[in-house]
Amino acid sequence: MSVVANIIALLVMPIILVGTINRVKARWAGRRGPPILQLAFDLWRLARKTPVYSKLTTPVFRLGPIVVVVTAIASACVVPLAGTTSLIAFPFDFVWFAYVWSLGRVALMLGALDTGSSFEGMGASREATFATLLEPVLFLVAGALCLHSGARSFAAVLVPRLDAPAAVVMWVAAIAALLIVVQVESARMPVDDPTTHLELTMVHEVMILDHSGAELAFLQLGAAIKMFVGVSVVAMLLNPLAGEHSLAAVAAHLGLCLAIAVAIGLSESLIARLKLRVVPQYIVVGLIAGGIALLSMLGRGGHG
Amino acid sequence: MVGSALLLTSIPILLIGAGLAAGLRTNHARGIAALVTQALATLVVLISIWPVLAGHATIEVIWPWPAPIDRIAFRLDALGAFFLAWSLPMTLLGTLYAVGYLRPYFHAGRNGGPHFALLNMTSVAFVLIYSVQNALVFLLGWEIAAVAAWLLVIWDYRKQKIRFAGFNYLVSTHVGLFVLVAAFMLLHSYTGSMDFAAFGTYLSSHPVGQGTVFLLLGISFALKSAFFPFHTWLPRAHAAAPAHVSALMSGVIHKAGLFGFLRFTLLAGKPEEWMGWSVLVFGAMSAVFGVLYTATQRDLKRLLGYSSTENVGIAAMAFGVGMLGWAWGNPGLATLGFGAGLLHLLNHALFKCSLFYAAGAVYRATHTIDLERLGGLARRLPSTTIFFLVGGLAMCGLPPLNGFVSEFLIYAGLLSGAAPTTEGDVVLVCAAAVLAFVGAVGALSTTRAFGLTFLGAARDPSLHVGAEEPRSMAIPMAVHSVAIVVLGVYPEVALWLVEPAVQRFQLALGAPATANLATVLGPVLWACRGLAVVLGVAMVAAWRRRRTARASVTWGCGYTAGTARMQYTGSSFSAQLSTLFRPALPLVTHEHLPTAAFPQHASHLSTNHVDAVERRMFEVLGQGEQFVQDTSARIPEQPRFAFAAGLLALVVVALVALGKML
Repeated sequence: MSVVANIIALLVMPIILVGTINRVKARWAGRRGPPILQLAFDLWRLARKTPVYSKLTTPVFRLGPIVVVVTAIASACVVPLAGTTSLIAFPFDFVWFAYVWSLGRVALMLGALDTGSSFEGMGASREATFATLLEPVLFLVAGALCLHSGARSFAAVLVPRLDAPAAVVMWVAAIAALLIVVQVESARMPVDDPTTHLELTMVHEVMILDHSGAELAFLQLGAAIKMFVGVSVVAMLLNPLAGEHSLAAVAAHLGLCLAIAVAIGLSESLIARLKLRVVPQYIVVGLIAGGIALLSMLGRGGHG
Repeated sequence: MVGSALLLTSIPILLIGAGLAAGLRTNHARGIAALVTQALATLVVLISIWPVLAGHATIEVIWPWPAPIDRIAFRLDALGAFFLAWSLPMTLLGTLYAVGYLRPYFHAGRNGGPHFALLNMTSVAFVLIYSVQNALVFLLGWEIAAVAAWLLVIWDYRKQKIRFAGFNYLVSTHVGLFVLVAAFMLLHSYTGSMDFAAFGTYLSSHPVGQGTVFLLLGISFALKSAFFPFHTWLPRAHAAAPAHVSALMSGVIHKAGLFGFLRFTLLAGKPEEWMGWSVLVFGAMSAVFGVLYTATQRDLKRLLGYSSTENVGIAAMAFGVGMLGWAWGNPGLATLGFGAGLLHLLNHALFKCSLFYAAGAVYRATHTIDLERLGGLARRLPSTTIFFLVGGLAMCGLPPLNGFVSEFLIYAGLLSGAAPTTEGDVVLVCAAAVLAFVGAVGALSTTRAFGLTFLGAARDPSLHVGAEEPRSMAIPMAVHSVAIVVLGVYPEVALWLVEPAVQRFQLALGAPATANLATVLGPVLWACRGLAVVLGVAMVAAWRRRRTARASVTWGCGYTAGTARMQYTGSSFSAQLSTLFRPALPLVTHEHLPTAAFPQHASHLSTNHVDAVERRMFEVLGQGEQFVQDTSARIPEQPRFAFAAGLLALVVVALVALGKML
């Protein structure tokens, strides 16, 4: 059952999450908003379009989006997507997770540089710089979760274990840090603005400026999957039923994912994007949260 | 006995080859002489180390020798065999590359004989260093390697810059030699022998001696392998040398430093905990600074040079984990640490040689390796592009290539929670976060180096791109690239070489000699293989499903007069990162900016990312004389100053005397 639930969640939830966020933002602005499944229609429309390639581009530009989608799915395999367990789990699979994300990011950045556009080079440079600060956050949190639970795989450590005061501190700090990871990685407010275009859009959208047709569809799908994977990680930590093989756990997980999507939609309606100069400092906040999560393990007492 | 005799026949073979290379009349014949003798020697070496790798036995022969050496212990164990197994084949590939790379110089009438002879001598040095366990012979091999590398670096000796780089290297490597000689003299005075086994017996029973020798040897081997802050010679030497020499120095020759470190770790027996921690921290420091410098370089070969500092740092982190595991009596952690480190050395040798070769091919075609001038080479040099991309992705440790496998093992060691205290575990997790940072900056550097060189359009329109590299240069790159991919999805091939060497450490630890690296890697390898297959199939499918597509210009956001000069440059790509880490990445700016609304004079701005350590070193050297003068002038003028200096001297003397008494 868990396998089926994971696969269905992987197929459906990325689209629903994007739809939910957009619907919440539209409602907040007083509009009706697009249908929840709008992303699916968009992808279908794009996939049938004739692409336009710049004369400067090489195969790197055309193959990059494939890598982005494949790596997004590869990272989804080690995360419990339906509140139960992940499709595959092995010791230190979060290392795999981080490095597969990194591979997708490199493919995206190379595609951007391939166009020879200064805007896209700018976006790639920012993405790469933010990633340098972001990757340690993930490892600090994962390390803290590992030490606390004694488990070594993502599926096993992503369960709330509030058995001591230090564990509560760790839990809060880990969720804060992971939320920042999700915001940066899926290019949401306050780090990046997914609705504007051109150079105003600071990081992600500017890198896909030249992509069109099926390639653009792949990139949008990859970004949606990555966001759902990140949201799932946070939802697992919030879910008191996480790890149980029951319908209640699945329902709670999907409900929490939607709740986080609503929260993202609300926050995007309420706050503005940070200045670019401030973004590294915002990620450092995540780094500090990750550090607190790890250091709280010292207050746990005992060893094991 | 047979094995040892066979192994040592490789030395005369290589020497004959060196003689032929120096003596023959045409460069063609010289190259062939070097290639044939190196191929023969490689074959001989591989045959003779086979039983060591397969049966895990040690070949040991001791020859009596006249004074002052008294006897030479020829002792080839699995550790030496591991290094020999790839050092000679890679040198052979480098020599093959040299035949193609140096051809323009040969056409201009240069004599390539000495160069080929020196490449042969490098292989001789490997055989001596990795198989003979005698301090004098070790030093002999060490010197042959150092001097040969120096002479190889200054191939273009007519340029003053290159002579300076070579001299810089020569001085640095000899400072390391002095420290090494000091350590050997200490050990000789304690043991009365030049044999490593006698050193080992002494070291494992004298903790104080072990600590002193650890520090001395650590500095020497750190200089050899270009650890931060002993790396200053490295970027200059790598930028100045011909591409194959940079490749061999970075990938193969300087691994001798880490070999020396491992050899003495093995000899000295169980390390103290502080040694493991200091190696871990030292390695982490080297990795961080090395990778930060790769992000700002505009010279492609300097960039790759700094990446060597990064990668030896990563390997040293692994060895630190291994030493901690040994000190804590945890065989699993020790196996992971030493296994990951050794595997990373091999992986680094593979991808770094490939990258330097590709950089050489870029230089051959365009006569520049300045990132700010290059661009768009993917259309002109397609095979070089693929080789560089494969090597670059492996360099930043991305799956499914070989760099990921060794880094995964290091993470497994760091995140295993195997420390006896929670504090220890927390520090190890922090080290894992540092490694993640290094990986992410490495991804930035690779994207930048590859993207600016091969993608987009040439930033300098006057850049003339010549023909693609000849076959003699393409074959070494292809071999390395294939090895990178194969070791990424089937690292069992490499583990077969690594595990016997790791078993040496397990035996020293007193643990059962069963390496479990393959068990740790098991599931992630299947994930890597799956990813490789899916990526391959998806890309082929996408490529074959060619649809009608329209070609147009790059979208310039409405601006239609864009030029290639407007692309993002190397310095702008790393500008944000270098601003964040400004204290570690000093930026020297020379500017003469326009002032009035109608500037009367031409203005200019130049920025240069300099090496912080080298800059400080030269500052101190330059100011040193002035400082001594000022200080000596102050003493008679200010009695208080003289008094303070005297007090300081007194304290030092007192401490030394106290140390003697204790």
